[in-house]
Amino acid sequence: MPSTTDLEQFLITGLSLGGVYALSGVGMVVLYRATGVLYLAFGAVGAMGALISWQLSHQDGWNIWLSFVAAILFGGLITLVYGMIFGPALAGRDPLVKATATLGLLLILLGVMDLLWPSSGGASRALTIPTDNNTFQVGQISVTYTNVIALALGLLITIVTAAFLRFTKLGTAMRAMANDREITAALGVPVRRVEAAAWFGCGVLSGAAGVLLADLVALDSTSLTFLVIFTLAAALIARLRSIVVTFFAALVIGVIDAEITPINKISNYRDMTPFVLAVIALLVLNRRRVITVGRQGV
Amino acid sequence: MEPRSLVRPAVAVALVAFAFLFIPSIFSLYYVNAWTQVAIWSIVTLGLGVLVGRVGMVSLGQGAVLAMGAWVAARILFATGLPYPVVLLASGLITMVLGTLVGLPALRMSGLYLALITLMLAGAITIVLQNIQFPNGGHGFTGYNGATVHIPPIRRPSIATTDPAFFRYSVIVAVLMFVLVLVHLRGRPGRAWAAIRQSEAAALAGGINTTLYKLWAFALASFITGVAGGLVAGFYHYLNSLTFATSDSITLLAVVLMGGAYSMTGAVVAAFLLKFLQQLLNDWGVSPDWLTILFGIGVLQVLTTAPRGIVEQMPKDIARLARLVRGLFSRPASPQEHES
Amino acid sequence: MIEVSELTVRFGGVLPLDRMSVTFEEGTCGLIGPNGAGKTTFFNVLSGFVKPVSGTVSAFGEDLLAMTHYRRARWGVRRTFQTEQAIEELSVYDNVAMIHENSKATRSSRREDVLGAIEFVKLDVNPNAKVGTLGAAERRLVEVARAVVGKPRLVLLDEPAAGLPDEETAVLSEVIRAIPQHMGALVILVDHDMSLVSSCCEKTAVLDFGKMIASGPTTEVLRDERVMRAYLGTEEVAA
Repeated sequence: MPSTTDLEQFLITGLSLGGVYALSGVGMVVLYRATGVLYLAFGAVGAMGALISWQLSHQDGWNIWLSFVAAILFGGLITLVYGMIFGPALAGRDPLVKATATLGLLLILLGVMDLLWPSSGGASRALTIPTDNNTFQVGQISVTYTNVIALALGLLITIVTAAFLRFTKLGTAMRAMANDREITAALGVPVRRVEAAAWFGCGVLSGAAGVLLADLVALDSTSLTFLVIFTLAAALIARLRSIVVTFFAALVIGVIDAEITPINKISNYRDMTPFVLAVIALLVLNRRRVITVGRQGV
Repeated sequence: MEPRSLVRPAVAVALVAFAFLFIPSIFSLYYVNAWTQVAIWSIVTLGLGVLVGRVGMVSLGQGAVLAMGAWVAARILFATGLPYPVVLLASGLITMVLGTLVGLPALRMSGLYLALITLMLAGAITIVLQNIQFPNGGHGFTGYNGATVHIPPIRRPSIATTDPAFFRYSVIVAVLMFVLVLVHLRGRPGRAWAAIRQSEAAALAGGINTTLYKLWAFALASFITGVAGGLVAGFYHYLNSLTFATSDSITLLAVVLMGGAYSMTGAVVAAFLLKFLQQLLNDWGVSPDWLTILFGIGVLQVLTTAPRGIVEQMPKDIARLARLVRGLFSRPASPQEHES
Repeated sequence: MIEVSELTVRFGGVLPLDRMSVTFEEGTCGLIGPNGAGKTTFFNVLSGFVKPVSGTVSAFGEDLLAMTHYRRARWGVRRTFQTEQAIEELSVYDNVAMIHENSKATRSSRREDVLGAIEFVKLDVNPNAKVGTLGAAERRLVEVARAVVGKPRLVLLDEPAAGLPDEETAVLSEVIRAIPQHMGALVILVDHDMSLVSSCCEKTAVLDFGKMIASGPTTEVLRDERVMRAYLGTEEVAA
């Protein structure tokens, strides 16, 4: 049985990661509500942003903070471009088709990342946010400012987005579109612009999440790409609807996963956390069997 | 039966016979192995093709099912001296049971949630496999001994130990699996699946027990993928978690979409894209990452250019092609057919 | 005879069916009402896709709601949908035969019954033609053929004439009128085309906001003030 100190220390890790999953989850849920697209390439985009940041700061001598900005902008831009091309192209289709299409983007990015930054030869890269070096003690556990930023950012994004959706014109338009795109368009809402905002916003969050996860976990294209599963699990628990539930679900997932780490017997299985929780969420929360009239599949 | 409908199967049989007889003599050993992989993986793509193209269920977990099949086969091969066909059958059946059990919760869902739950379940299976490792001749349930220095290779069928012989063996097994699927498609399950894909509500209203037939489709796909897993075990001789990547299930879906989920030839095309091209690029010193990128582009292309779904697109394209050909030989006198 | 008693369906805060009670006696019965009245929901209850929170449906003396949805087809419920659902990649024959396969009818009579149903709906195409190659009107007829094959007892037609030109509707009307006598089934017809309803149905029931507001001989019901108000709102009805 691990010590209390261990458990407390891993709580910090869990909360930071949870914070990042939360900010990612919020991005994904808002985009889904506005466009019907479940952005499975979210992690891949973040991964590439992180690698670009590494490239600029470690190889090209950029200021590290500027490289982070580049990563975030990259995330926003590539997501926006994808959204502006493939959003309309797949507009009337089933969410399944839209989500599968993002898998196409995921594969392209995975291939590009492995070409530009090969992972062979055991050469490992690392991305360190300078705030990693600023630590403070809370009793026996040490907390870095990065940990604080990760959690704080998650909380901040959740609150800001919730407020944005409720109180601003653009936000209300996004909520309206989640209900019915055509009616919203008929009401004179600039649907394309609202969508663009949703895509760009989600992309920006993906870039930010990529940098944070690269720091907290590892700078590895495959791992970072598939960390999207954690975010996805949180979003599914929130039934792809509630931002607040996404936030709390993300924290819970992050904490559970981290807390299992020091428990030796099951430590290796800790990454099953998002899978197990997502399956439960899918089964329990989507209990009501929906019988579809009309074509299935892609 | 109309004469036209016999031509395509005849051509298919001829091609397979040609491949069976002549590939080992035409190609170098390296490429014979590439074709073996095509034969093996065409079984997997066929399974996914049935799910996606015929029933309308997108599964993002077939890679994990294949890994399970390979694991089961390897375990049995190490633990017993059973003849290979028996091992293949056993791994097929066990994988079928496991795959169906794991897929049971997914059956109440459709569309996006079905795909997501298969993704989640596959992820969980992958982690389990990463931890219990693949059998390497050890004892105990998992058959894995971390301390083993000299790992014994997984055996091949006694009649097919050499690469050319194993190629032919794989082709035969593949043909058998294709026939099994064909029998399903031509019979009641095939019609029920067509009804389910068209509209689950209408299928239910027509008296079809949709849950049963969806389960059946899962079971069939898992069975043949389990059999393919047995071939994979024998092909590679040594298995570890690196043999099966996390992205495998995604690239499988990509090539199935590209090759055409609906047709059986599509399954072979998909396997060719997935495995042969990989070996080709490897031979030429080109990074396999280009294939990953190609598959990504392929997914986007297929989904955007098939406005009414990929299944509709195929017959439409073929019909358009047929009209073009007919138009070359005659002058159309009647007004254009109204496209609904 | 179909007896519906106090049938209530709840979706969240909405009651698509609100203590609906009506009896469909025999022959072809109409069910009309403005959009959103609950007609398709009612059909969905009969098909088994929607579970009511209360109420009963007794079909020829048997408790319909107690049967699992896919078993109702075997019992004899047949249904068409607002957007036709004939399977495009199968032939006309296979489409109709599939329903026959899942019904109480025997295998030996299959070919005869299927071809008979196709002829009954006056569908003049090669039975081996793929439904995907047919035009919209013909697909509708395939749907109707599916609805009348294999010992049907209750045939639910959901807007079968939607989008059909007048002459096709006239043909359809003849077919629908002949179903009860030829096939021995009770037909419930939902449609917005009032001339179709008047020509096919002796009796008609009217649904509005989930409640039955009128029921009786079709001509009387169509003249009923409450019915007109339901369709046109509470404004003054033209004389």
